[in-house]
Amino acid sequence: MTVRSLVSVVDDSESVRESLPDLLQQYGFATQAFASAEAFLASECVGQTQCLILDIAMPRMTGPDLQRELARRRYHIPIVFITAHSDEIDRPTLLGAGAVDCLFKPFSEAALLDAVHAALRAG
Amino acid sequence: MRYELSDVVDAIPALVWTVRSDGHADFLNQRWCDYTGLSLEEARGAGWQAAIYKTDLPVVLDHCRARQATCVPRAIEAGMRRFDGTHRRLLMHGSPFRDESGAIVGRCWYVSHTDLEEQKRTDALLAGEKQVLEMVARGRPLPTILDAVCAVVEAAAPGCHCSIMLIDQSGTRFQRGAGPTLPSGFLDAVDGGAVTYESGPCGMAASLNTQVIVPDVTSDAWWNAEGWPPWVLAHGFRSWWSTPILSLAGTVLGTLALYREAPGRPTVPHQALIEQFTHVASIAIERTQAEAALRRSEAFLAEAQRLSSTGSFAWHATTGGTTWSDQTYRIFEIDRGTPLTSELVHSRIHPDDVAMFDAMVDRARRDGNGLDVEHRLRMPDSSIKYVRVVAHATRDDTGQLEYIGAVQDVTERRLAEDTLDKVRSELAHVARVTTLGVLTASIAHEVNQPLSGIMTNASTCLRMLAEDPPNVDGARETARRAMRDAQRGADVIAKLRGLFAKRGTVTESVDLNEATREVIALSNSELQRARVLVRTELADDLPPVTGDRVQLQQVVLNLLLNASEAMRGVDDRPRQLVIRTELDDEDGVRLSVQDAGVGVDPQNVERLFDAFYTTKSGGMGIGLSVSRSIIARHHGHLRAAQNDGPGATFAFSLPAVGGVDANGSSGSRDSTACPEIL
Repeated sequence: MTVRSLVSVVDDSESVRESLPDLLQQYGFATQAFASAEAFLASECVGQTQCLILDIAMPRMTGPDLQRELARRRYHIPIVFITAHSDEIDRPTLLGAGAVDCLFKPFSEAALLDAVHAALRAG
Repeated sequence: MRYELSDVVDAIPALVWTVRSDGHADFLNQRWCDYTGLSLEEARGAGWQAAIYKTDLPVVLDHCRARQATCVPRAIEAGMRRFDGTHRRLLMHGSPFRDESGAIVGRCWYVSHTDLEEQKRTDALLAGEKQVLEMVARGRPLPTILDAVCAVVEAAAPGCHCSIMLIDQSGTRFQRGAGPTLPSGFLDAVDGGAVTYESGPCGMAASLNTQVIVPDVTSDAWWNAEGWPPWVLAHGFRSWWSTPILSLAGTVLGTLALYREAPGRPTVPHQALIEQFTHVASIAIERTQAEAALRRSEAFLAEAQRLSSTGSFAWHATTGGTTWSDQTYRIFEIDRGTPLTSELVHSRIHPDDVAMFDAMVDRARRDGNGLDVEHRLRMPDSSIKYVRVVAHATRDDTGQLEYIGAVQDVTERRLAEDTLDKVRSELAHVARVTTLGVLTASIAHEVNQPLSGIMTNASTCLRMLAEDPPNVDGARETARRAMRDAQRGADVIAKLRGLFAKRGTVTESVDLNEATREVIALSNSELQRARVLVRTELADDLPPVTGDRVQLQQVVLNLLLNASEAMRGVDDRPRQLVIRTELDDEDGVRLSVQDAGVGVDPQNVERLFDAFYTTKSGGMGIGLSVSRSIIARHHGHLRAAQNDGPGATFAFSLPAVGGVDANGSSGSRDSTACPEIL
């Protein structure tokens, strides 16, 4: 029995929370979706997630806020940031803080899979 | 009995005497003696004949004898010398003396009933007065009338020249009135002269409001001291009598003066003449001045009506009788004098406004209330005019309802307002498009989100269809999600187009809560990006307002973005923004946007609403100016105030459509039931 890698998705957009897990499941990943950073931190998945797909702009705790909080708690989860804003990303800072990639919405299926696989390799 | 009868005859205001056929008088009454200046003793016998013109005496004596022969009452005219030496023509009526049986005895009564010259003089004066008053009534020019007054006075006062001087409106200068027989240059010297008691007898009479008599300028100490005699004498006059002409209210209008080449004072008849014709002159002057004032007033009114494009009218509600001013005819482009029929007036009312116009007329007839309406006219050349009609109801002498009003051509104002509306609309559009730049990133976010969903769902759908066997149910679900996201994207574009497309003003009923939610949705991403926490407190059952939905949304968007901008540098506290709707104290609807930013300077708070005033580095400074203008046009007011704590609150109130019910339930707000954190 093959243990599937758990990919968690954190995005305040319902559309993303519905569509992205379905697509990843098509490629054999286990998925969990969360509407906020706070919800993810409070879940049991935080210790099991092998790849975190994380929206940057969210109310209250943002994606970078969660990245810092995970580091503070010593969780080393490979992160793929996603965003619909093209001008709000400080890409070097995010990558320097351990992010694997940053994808701009809308992104292609291939770009997503490349980023996820890279994250899993990094983990 | 004889003495008693004599007393009675003495009391008769006529000359009464008896004369025998031989020309001897044996009785003359006291008035006869007073009139002739002869005593009774002097007049008795043939003495009376000294008072009769020598040329007339034979006629009178013959008449006495003939009377005795015929015994038929007759009257003759004869001249008599009066006590003052003047000769007057008298009409003498003679009647035979009869005894108790009615038989004629040897003597006659002769009674002078009338001083013919006095009568003729009185008749002439009355005719002159009538002529002058007719000239006044016919509106003849004042100089002509005053010339006629002078002519009548001079005819009644032989040897006298008459002048009338007027006093100008300032009351300080003489103006030429009349003086048809005065020497050339005499009136010129007085014309324009000061009205002072030193300027001459006329000036003294006018300034002191009293008659001034100069019997002989050569011996008058006052006028000699003033150096007048040479000038007066040079014009051939020795005496000068000036009398003020008074208005009915007692104001001095001018002077009437008589000049004589001989020295002397006015006689009693002179004074009567002066009194009579200063009065006539005052009537002429006052009437002429009143008519001139009326003409001037009417001219001013007509000019004012023309300049202000305002006509006046009177409309009798019962009979329909209408009176228009010249300007009203001009506004309606109807020739003055054309009979004002209902059909003619209706032909000028714009067809779309006829029903409203008729309803207004019916209401006016029924209620008798004032009118204040605006409607359109359509001219024969199909051009359109806008007119405002204002009238108040009154009652005529018979108690019938009548409207007195004004009709103003407001076409230019309306066209200017339309142009201004267009400019405002364009400025508002510029402001919106400027906002579009600010929202570019937010708009990209709003579009990219559904696009991302579409792509991901489409990929998933293809994968499911490629399975063996195909996962049709899963593919159907993901296809449905893709369509849903596509619709979301289309909705975003539609809202953007609605908010930023160039359009005219549209007035409609607007749910301010719904309009506000749409603006928040559109700007949400931008606010989120600025780390602004938005809390909405939208009142339940908020009554709608009337206005332009897009323009109101523009104001809300402007306030939201300004609030976000004001909190850009705030890091020591939450960037909290509260947008709230509620009923205001006057049952209107109030919307406020409260931020926790840098706040406003209370001293300069009004400057924030000035055009091109900005505190932002990249701002044009038109957002708040346009917003206040938009709210003002919605009959509201946009204000700013510093919060008790950090930040400021911008708020506007608008009248609600239909108000609220008696319980005020439509305006109740439950902020705890509906807090919404975005």
